[in-house]
Amino acid sequence: MNALAPQAALAAGVFAALGLGVMRRPSALVVRVLTLAVPVIALLLMRQLLPSATGLLIVADVKGLCWQLVIVAAALPLAALLPGDDVEAALFLGSLLGMSLLAVSGNLLMMFLSLEFMSLPAYLLVARAGTGSGERRLEAAVKYFFAGALAGAFFLLGLALYYAHSRSLTFTDQPLGFQGQAGLALMAVAALFKIGAVPLHWWLPDVYEAASPEVAGFLSTAMKSAAVLFLMRVTALAPMPVFAVALPWIGAITALIGSLLALRQQRLQRLLAYSSLAHAGLLVLGVGAWQALGRDPAAASSLLFYLGVYALLSNGAFIFLRASGVETRADLRGYAVRQPGLAAAFAVLLAALAGIPPTGGFVAKLLILWQALRAQAAIPAILAAVSALISLGYYLGLVRDAYFEEPSGPAPRTGDSWARIAVLACAIGAVVLGAAPLFLNGFTGRIWR
Amino acid sequence: MTPTALFALVVNLVAVAAITGLFANAGKMFGPKSIRQGDADMPYEAGLPPLSSAHERMTVLYHRFAVLFVVFDVDLAFLLPWALNRPRLDLTAMIAMTAFTLIVLFMLAYFWRKGALECR
Repeated sequence: MNALAPQAALAAGVFAALGLGVMRRPSALVVRVLTLAVPVIALLLMRQLLPSATGLLIVADVKGLCWQLVIVAAALPLAALLPGDDVEAALFLGSLLGMSLLAVSGNLLMMFLSLEFMSLPAYLLVARAGTGSGERRLEAAVKYFFAGALAGAFFLLGLALYYAHSRSLTFTDQPLGFQGQAGLALMAVAALFKIGAVPLHWWLPDVYEAASPEVAGFLSTAMKSAAVLFLMRVTALAPMPVFAVALPWIGAITALIGSLLALRQQRLQRLLAYSSLAHAGLLVLGVGAWQALGRDPAAASSLLFYLGVYALLSNGAFIFLRASGVETRADLRGYAVRQPGLAAAFAVLLAALAGIPPTGGFVAKLLILWQALRAQAAIPAILAAVSALISLGYYLGLVRDAYFEEPSGPAPRTGDSWARIAVLACAIGAVVLGAAPLFLNGFTGRIWR
Repeated sequence: MTPTALFALVVNLVAVAAITGLFANAGKMFGPKSIRQGDADMPYEAGLPPLSSAHERMTVLYHRFAVLFVVFDVDLAFLLPWALNRPRLDLTAMIAMTAFTLIVLFMLAYFWRKGALECR
């Protein structure tokens, strides 16, 4: 089985979507079926992939294969919710293609290419997809574009310095001089930009707030997974001990700042954007721990698990906003009386995001913090735990709004039934993954062989 | 970088600067000298005073053509080395380049269909 079969499926999907666009009047139903079918086919193709020989540009290692699985799975909710517009379908599939190429790229040039490939359609997706005022989305897309272009420039500069020093576009085990280290650090900065780590996070809340909720969910799950893998690949290029020290701190500070800023938000989508920032902090902490433990497979698999769980939680929480039409915390008051089922699903998702025990969010947080403690990064781990405590303030605050307040004002306009189904599925998944230690026992040991 | 290569680079830079400078200023240098006479130098707009500067900003529509041009220009940069090496390449290279060209053609058709080539 060719290692690039899923990517080939996605590329074929992009062309099919564009081909439908050439037709005079493309049927919305056909476009919707295509948008959903192509990622599913890619997922099915991934089942048969095995870690295989590495080529010049492509490295199909366990990490890449697992990550592309999580990335494409995290994109499924958006695939199901996109309206049948051929351009948006092509943009979505193109972005996904870039992400899955990034997952298997084993060369810095290939990495840059796929970085741009996943980012450019995402900017347009932010600007195009969704209903309501287009001006805000356009502004956010431009902001996102400049942030992304800056990250790309950092990456290219770092790549040039790294290449000038080491004459290599891939992994090297030579100790790096100052020039090479500066290059590596610049490339890591580009990756942190993409993740949205403090202090490179300024674009993130605006973009996530202005984009339509399901696109924001896509950005905060699939895109973030790709960015985390990007950070891991870049920091693993050459031995550089400073990453193992710096990344946990950056992560812990990001988590703290994200949680603190989320406390004050009234608009739910902005609140979820800051919460996404807090989770990004935990992921960066996990990458740092992975580095400090000498790229330990167990640490990588706890990152993978976190991303898998977070894909459900974040997608579910963002799509709840679309399913319920709730925009501010005031709209949420007494929501449990109006829509008991949807409110219950949202409460479960919030509990999981906060990391309350019977849910997947708890296991994921626990694994990351455990790896951080193993990596001797005790103080960053404590700071991250404190940020999780702070985050209870707004997650449980939302639950209180929905359950213990009287409904006031007109009921928000509810969304379509697909969005409701997606929210319910994500909530069920969050609970099921809470039992993950029972059925995933030994899983990590097996897959990293 | 060897001194010879550096010299070649400098010669190239000078040649490029000289040729583009010549093109840009040839009219001024070799054309008939105009006699400065106030209003007669102004652009002629049906006898009316000019409404705005002749050096207006380009619309973004023009930018679209520039981008399209770059796309097809870069494709040529791939085609030329392939064509030069054609005798030594096998069938795989032929198939790859055919597929590449077809993709480019498809994109041209897409732009055309979507109205990106309209002069509006």
